[in-house]
Parts: sequence; structure tokens; C-alpha cells
Amino acid sequence: MRPGRERLALHLAILLLSAVGIAYEIALMRVLSVAQWHHFAYMIISIAMLGFAASGTAVALLRDRLEGKERQLLAAGALLLTASLVACYALSQRVPFETFRLATEPAQLRYLLALYLILAVPFFLVSWCIMLGFLLEPRRIGRIYFLNMLGSGLGAAGIVALLFRVDPADVPYVLTLPAALAFVLAALGQPRLWLAGLALPAGLLLLTGRQPVRLSEYKGLSYALQLPDARVVAVETSPLAVVTAVASSAIRETPGQLSGYPMRELGALPEQVGLYFDGGAVSVVSRFDGSLEPFAFLDFVTGALPYRLVERPKVAVVGAGGGIEVLSALRHGAEHVTAIEVDPSVFHLMRTELREFSGGLYERGDVTPVHAEGRRFLEAQEDGAFDLIQVALLDSFNASAAGVHALSESYLYTTEALQLYLRKLSPAGVLSITRWLKTPPRDAIKLFATMVEAAERSGIDDPGRHLAFIRSWNTATLILSRSPLTDSQLAAVRSFGEERGFDVSYLPGIGPEEVNRFTVLEQPLYYEAAQRLLSKERSDLFGEYAFNVRPATDDRPYFSRFFLWRSLPRFIAASRGGWFNFVEWGYVALVATITQAALAGLFIVLLPLLIFSRGEHGTQRGGVMLYFAALGFAYMFLEIAFIQRFMLFLAYPVYAVSVVLTAFLVFSGVGSYVADRRLRAAQSAGARRLVRGAVLLIAALGVLYILLLPPAFRAAADWSDAARVASSLLLLAPLAFLMGIPFPVGLQLTSNARPSLVPWAWGLNGAASVLGATLATLTAIHIGFRAVVLFALGFYAMAALALARLTPATTSARERADGVYAP
Amino acid sequence: MVREQIASPTLGEYAVEDGRVLGAMRTVPRHLFVPPDLLKLAYADRPLPIGHGQTISQPFIVAAMTELLQVGPGDRILEIGTGSGYQAAVLAEIVGRVFTIEIVEPLAEDAEERLRRLGYDNVEVRWGDGYYGWEEKAPFQGIVVTAAASHIPPPLLEQLQPGARMVIPVGPPLQVQTLMLVEKRLDGSIVQRSLMPVRFVPFTRSE
Repeated sequence: MRPGRERLALHLAILLLSAVGIAYEIALMRVLSVAQWHHFAYMIISIAMLGFAASGTAVALLRDRLEGKERQLLAAGALLLTASLVACYALSQRVPFETFRLATEPAQLRYLLALYLILAVPFFLVSWCIMLGFLLEPRRIGRIYFLNMLGSGLGAAGIVALLFRVDPADVPYVLTLPAALAFVLAALGQPRLWLAGLALPAGLLLLTGRQPVRLSEYKGLSYALQLPDARVVAVETSPLAVVTAVASSAIRETPGQLSGYPMRELGALPEQVGLYFDGGAVSVVSRFDGSLEPFAFLDFVTGALPYRLVERPKVAVVGAGGGIEVLSALRHGAEHVTAIEVDPSVFHLMRTELREFSGGLYERGDVTPVHAEGRRFLEAQEDGAFDLIQVALLDSFNASAAGVHALSESYLYTTEALQLYLRKLSPAGVLSITRWLKTPPRDAIKLFATMVEAAERSGIDDPGRHLAFIRSWNTATLILSRSPLTDSQLAAVRSFGEERGFDVSYLPGIGPEEVNRFTVLEQPLYYEAAQRLLSKERSDLFGEYAFNVRPATDDRPYFSRFFLWRSLPRFIAASRGGWFNFVEWGYVALVATITQAALAGLFIVLLPLLIFSRGEHGTQRGGVMLYFAALGFAYMFLEIAFIQRFMLFLAYPVYAVSVVLTAFLVFSGVGSYVADRRLRAAQSAGARRLVRGAVLLIAALGVLYILLLPPAFRAAADWSDAARVASSLLLLAPLAFLMGIPFPVGLQLTSNARPSLVPWAWGLNGAASVLGATLATLTAIHIGFRAVVLFALGFYAMAALALARLTPATTSARERADGVYAP
Repeated sequence: MVREQIASPTLGEYAVEDGRVLGAMRTVPRHLFVPPDLLKLAYADRPLPIGHGQTISQPFIVAAMTELLQVGPGDRILEIGTGSGYQAAVLAEIVGRVFTIEIVEPLAEDAEERLRRLGYDNVEVRWGDGYYGWEEKAPFQGIVVTAAASHIPPPLLEQLQPGARMVIPVGPPLQVQTLMLVEKRLDGSIVQRSLMPVRFVPFTRSE
């Protein structure tokens, strides 16, 4: 075969393998979100990194033995990858890992380790192939890198499209095809017999068959499926979530405690179908035949309070789901209900399989279903359009697990979000938010604090006159009114509490004797907190409270993060070993991942390379280490920060992840390609100038974006989806283009000076990227996204400083003869 | 087995003191209620998994719930969520009759067989949906609801005798839980108390 065609085949193979790698990573994140919980997305990132780092180490150590066999080994890697995609997935689903049992069963740690090792294999192989690509074309590092980035970008976009049609559990099977094609391309030029190797993945496929996701026994769907007459009515899949509709006579979900409900007189609850999102959070669809009589029970939950304050309201329900809050609004005489739901599967199910059951709830004249993200939709509405905005009792249902990283950010509960809700209320309108309560108290206190600050920022002088707070034993409903609550409204809150047995924890003028009567707490903490939040003691409370109850903001949109490190000693002292009851698993997973990534980086990348390459290129190694580690951190910090920034603009987390990831990867790839061409004519001094120029421009753009993006996004509130995606790509393109330059240029400089350091640099950068991704999230949680961007710029500055040490003066003889690139 | 370990259940500042409860905790062979592979932990003060997403509560919680019910010989107790049958056995040591309902069939079968083998003939196990309680046997002088739910089933409140108590452990699986104590007063009105087994006040300042 002609070398030109062979090279083209190689390039296509690299492109495909890169696409498969990222698609597999995202698919596994979805699989783990279904099997366990979404914060395990972090685990996949660190598993991928483990694979990447390990193969970097392997190639670095085996380099001499690989020489001359690169092409065969690349093809072999692609073949094994083809086989491992399904094999490793299927095997991983047979490991009986359970998060909740980690504390009781020592075997669980072994299962977790087994999951790590099994799932790291495909990533090891992807990275192995790409590195062999670098070795095959040592003078076209930039080109290979470009193909890797382009492939990854296409993979990220492709997997989102795929997840609309294909269940995450089937993705490994689908990806076998492009992987096999990559193998065939890589094997071109080898003896034909090689193709017989395809028997291996084919055989494994036949052997494993379809392996469903192993659902944790502690997830809502697992419980539902054990109910005596449970049956799955429908399954819908989208990149946001797999929605499983389960019917059973024993499903009876209500938005909180039914207090004093006279079931004998008013009847049992209507039959329900539970919609389980990724096997976890549930939203119910009720049997509905047009009669609202059977929904009397909805007046016996705290969430019914706003209907005592507004008459015949125009209602907007954010997070309408199966429609229980919509039914409540209709039952309470709403004039019109706008039902906003972010997950497309819900409306689709209600129009198809569940249409008859749900009585066409979303097709009534007085109900308008809106498939949109709540804030995004409300932003585009006229001010004063609604008399009641209700944020449904959403569990931090968060689709961002579909993508890279998004622990539990929610833009529905930030101060800015509440300001928006206030603007959209009519003068007599109210905002009503219900939350599940935790013990010790935290959610409702944070929500109250957020309401107070949102009111103040909206120009309300005396927020205390606009607020009401009632609670049952498991929910709290908080009201924020546009105008001060009238005397008759105050009386209505009191009488609602009295009638139903709900405690009023705050109301203007309420006294301590009124607040702790029906669900008695050891101490009236909600009342005390509310009083302090409305006084000058607010910041004292934030400083003294054992949980983080400071309002969430768009810069730090982590409403559900309550854990504070400073409280850990108190938790331990108070609970004698039960301290983990007070921390949040998502947060623990994040910290654990950082630890794992740091340890893996240390033991799999740094130590082996330091031990086995002792004495080689001492000083230069330091420079390489600093340069590539700083770049890994910098790149991921910016990527994570922009995913978060664009989440608000692109409305759907999964689109944000997909658009930002694709833009970053593709345009960085283009940047590396252009840099590659520029380098051909340049000396290493020129290469360094190129990198420094790029870093300066990145810094300038970074600062500009921090300042200009929020107002620009607000100005584009009524743009269409397509316009938003297009403008996002345009905005991100120059930044990503510049960010694509430093890495391949550095790699080329390293390759020219000390080729044996290339796999090391690659592995190190991989390790830093993963650590960077998790550290960026931790930084965002604690300091905010602006800080993440500033840190990223700091890392770029560090890289620019380390650049000079990348090529020692002694190696410049070759450069002088050839230029950096000898074409 | 060190059964004495759970004979004086305390956690933080909360201690179970009722002699009958402590006696029952000492008598019931907890190791026969836990899965064989967790035998070593049978008498540790922690919840253990029993499969199907269910747990056997930690001994302290079982003791505390039993004490909070304030029941005695001759009383009839309803339990929703039999699980392994351990709570039913502890109650059976103290009260007249225990009626327990489990929705997961294999768990119900195992618990019934286990309780019969241990000679608890004052416990009746039923496989089914506990939402509507056990009307034929009502009223009850105490109810324990271990199945997590978005609301307390109204029929259970109806079947609770005025003056009696209902206890509901609340919290994620396999973690220390908060106890909800529901008291039905003689006039039929309901008062709930949220009890933390862990003495913990989230304010720092000492007042």
C-alpha cells in the first residue's frame, strides 16, 4: 500500500478512536448515574485518567521495545479496544458494588477497586493508540493532536445525539462499530490475516449478550419494581435521563405530608404511575378523567398555602413533571397554568403511552405545557405575567450528569433566579417554593436567606413583610410576595396552619409561642434562624451555623451544598462515629475523586517515571513537568468554568456540556493544526513566542468574558435555541483556538529535544487535567466561577514561565540545523 | 457473640433506660436476623443491609423506638415494614401481640419462618401493602412504620388508638436516623416530635 494512503488510514483511525474514547466516557457516566448516583460521574473521569496515565507510563517505559512495531501495536490496541468496550462494560455490571454499603462491608472497597480497574482498560487502549500515533509521526505531533481533538469533539457531539435514541446501556455495543472500523484502518498494510482478529470482539459480543445496567437496590426504581403488582409501562431515553414509568397500586407519592387528610370522607389517592429519572428521583402522573374531586388531598400539603393568598391566579409551575402541582393549581381554581418542564421525555410520555391515563392533562385549554428550562423560559416572558410562580418539589434532578461535570449546581435556587421570579410576578403575586426538610435544619433556612437577599436586591426595603414560612414534618413551603403581605393574607396563613396542623415558622409579627406546636422541634431553629436572617445578625448566622446556609448565587450555584469543613470536628464529637450522616455524599465523592486522582497521578505517572528514568534529562524534566501539568490544570479550569457559564445561557445542562466540550475540542484542534503549520517554518524561539502570544490573548479574552458574558446573555434572553448554540460556538471559538496552541507546541519542542519524554508529558498532562477538572469544581463550590477563570489564567502564566526550560540549550544544535520542524 | 454490647443502648446524650426494653434487647438473638456474611457485625451498634434495599436498624434505634412507643404486656402493635423481623421480635418480648406487614415477598417469607422457628407465636406476619394498615386488628396501642414514604398513610393514623404513639425512623438507608414520634391525643388531634438520636445543635454560640 502507498504510504500516503496508509497515513490517511492512520489519521482516520486516530480520529475514530478519539471519538469512541470520549463517547464511551460520557456513556459510562450515564450508566453510573443510572446504576448508582450522578456524582459518580466524577469517578468515570478519574477512571479515564487512570487509563490515560497508565498507558503514558507504559509507553514511556517500553519505548525502546516498541520501536519499529508501532503500527502493529496500534492496530492491536484498536482491536483490543473493540473487544473491551462491551466486555469491560458487561463485566463492570456484574460487580455487586453498592455505595451505601461502603461503611459496613469491607468487600465493597474491593468491588470499587475492581470497577476502577475494569473500566480503566478501554481508556488505556484509546490512549495507547494515540500515543503510538505520536511515535509513528514524531514530526507531526500537532497533526495527530489535532485529529485527537477533532475526534473527541465529534465524539462529544455525537454521543449526545445518540443518547436521544439509544439507552446508555446499549452505547458500548454501538461504539463497537467505529472501534472496529478504526482497527481495520489501522491494520491496513498489515497481512490480511490480521482482519481475522475481528473474531475476538465478535465472539465476546455473542458471549455477553445484552447486559442491562445493574441498578443499585437503594434506588427508587428498585424499590418500586419490588411492589407486588409493579409493571414497567414505558421507558424513554434522552441525554438528560432515562425515564422509567412504573405502574403499581402501591405507588402513592404526594408533595409532602398529608396533614389531617380525612381519607374516609374525601377518598383514597388516585392511582399513580411513577416516573423514575435515572432510576432515582420520582415524579408521579395521576389518573385523571377531568374531575378534580379526587385531588382534594392536594389541599392538605404545605404547598397549598399560596392558593390561600391569591385568587384565580395565573400560575407558572417550574418543574411540572408528571403534573401533580398542575393538578393542584387547577383544583385550587387557577385561571391558567403554564407547566414548564426541562425533560422532553415527560411531555412525550404524557402525549403517548400515558395520554389516556393522565386524561390529556397537558392538552387542556387552561394548561400550556412548555418544554424549556425554567429560568430561560421565564426570562423571555413579560414582567408581571404571573400571579403565582411555583417551583415544584424537585429533587436536585440534574441532568448534567450526562456530561462532564456538574455535581449539583442548580440555577433555579440562586439569588438571581429569585430576583427573576419576583420580576415576573404581578403586583399582588407570590412566589412559592417547597423543599423537603432535613434534620438538622438547613434547606429551608438557606432558602429563606436567599429570599431575603433576592428581595433586598430587588429594591424591597423591608423583606420581612413579604415573607411567610410554614412547615410539616417533612416539607417547608416558603412564600415571597411582590407586595407586602396584607392583613387578610397574614390571617389566611395563620388559619391554614391552624386548620391543617402546619407550624408557621415565620410571618411578620409572629412570636415564639406560635411556631412550635404541631411538629415540635427540640429548639425552634427555623423561627430563630428566620429572625436572625432578617436582623443585623445575618452574617453572624452564616458564620456560626454548622451548615452552609449562605444563599447560592449564579457564580456559586450549589444550593444543595451544606457541608462545611469547619463543622467536621463538631459532627464527629456529637455523633460518635456517625459523622457521615452530616456530610453530603456528592461532596464526599468529589473529594475522594481528587484524592484518587492525585494518588493515581503520583503512583502511576510520577513515581514510575522518576524511578525508571533516573538520571536522564534531569533539569529538563522539571520544565516538562511544570509546563504540562500547568497546561492540564489551566485547560480544565477554563473548560469547567465555561461549561457552567453557558449552562445558564444554553438552558439545558447537557447542551452546555456538549456545545462547550465540542467547541473546546474542535477549535483547540484547529488551533493546534494552525500552530503545527506555523511551526514548520519557525525556530524554537519562534515557537516560544507563539505560545506566549497565545497565553496573553487567552488572558485578555478570559477577563473580557468574565466581565461581558453575564450582560450579553441577559440581552439575548429571547433568542432561539439555534441562535444560542451558534453564538456560543462563535464566542468560544477564538478562546478554544488559542488554548489549542500551547500543548502541541510544547509537545513538539519536547519531541524534538527529548522524544522519550513525550509519553511522560502526555500522561502528566492527562493526570493534571483530571485533577484540574475536579479541583475546578471544588474551587467553584467554595469561591465561585470567576475565581476558577482567574486560577486558570494563573496556570497559563506558570506554563509560559516554564516554557523556557522545555528545550535545553545543548539540544539546539539539531534545531539550528533543521528548524523546530524538519518537514 | 457479645450480646451485652447492645444491652445498654446509648448514643450521645440519649440513653434507653426502660428495663423491659433493655431485657428484650438482651434476649433477642440478633445474630440470627443478620445475613450470614455479616455475622461478625451482628452486635455492633450499626444498621446492616439485609438485601432488597432494606436494612436491619441499628440496635440503638430499635431500642429507642421500642421505648418511645411506651407499650407493655397486653398491647397490640402494628409494624409496617417487617424486614428481617428483628424489631417485631424485640416488641414481641414486651407486648401482647405484634402484627407486621412486609411488602417484599421474600423478606416476608423469611421473617415469618425465622420468627416461627424462634418461637415468637405472638407475631403475625403478612405479605402485602401496609398503606391501609390491618383494619381487622385495629385499634393499635402502638405503630412502627419503617417504610419511608412521602406522607404518613392516613389509615394508619386512624387505626392508632387515641393516647397511643407511632414511631417513624427517617433518613437515608444504613445511616443513623431521625425519629419521628407521632402522638395521637385523646381528642384525636395529632402532635409530632422530631427527635435526633444525636444531640446536635447547629448554632455555635452558647445560649
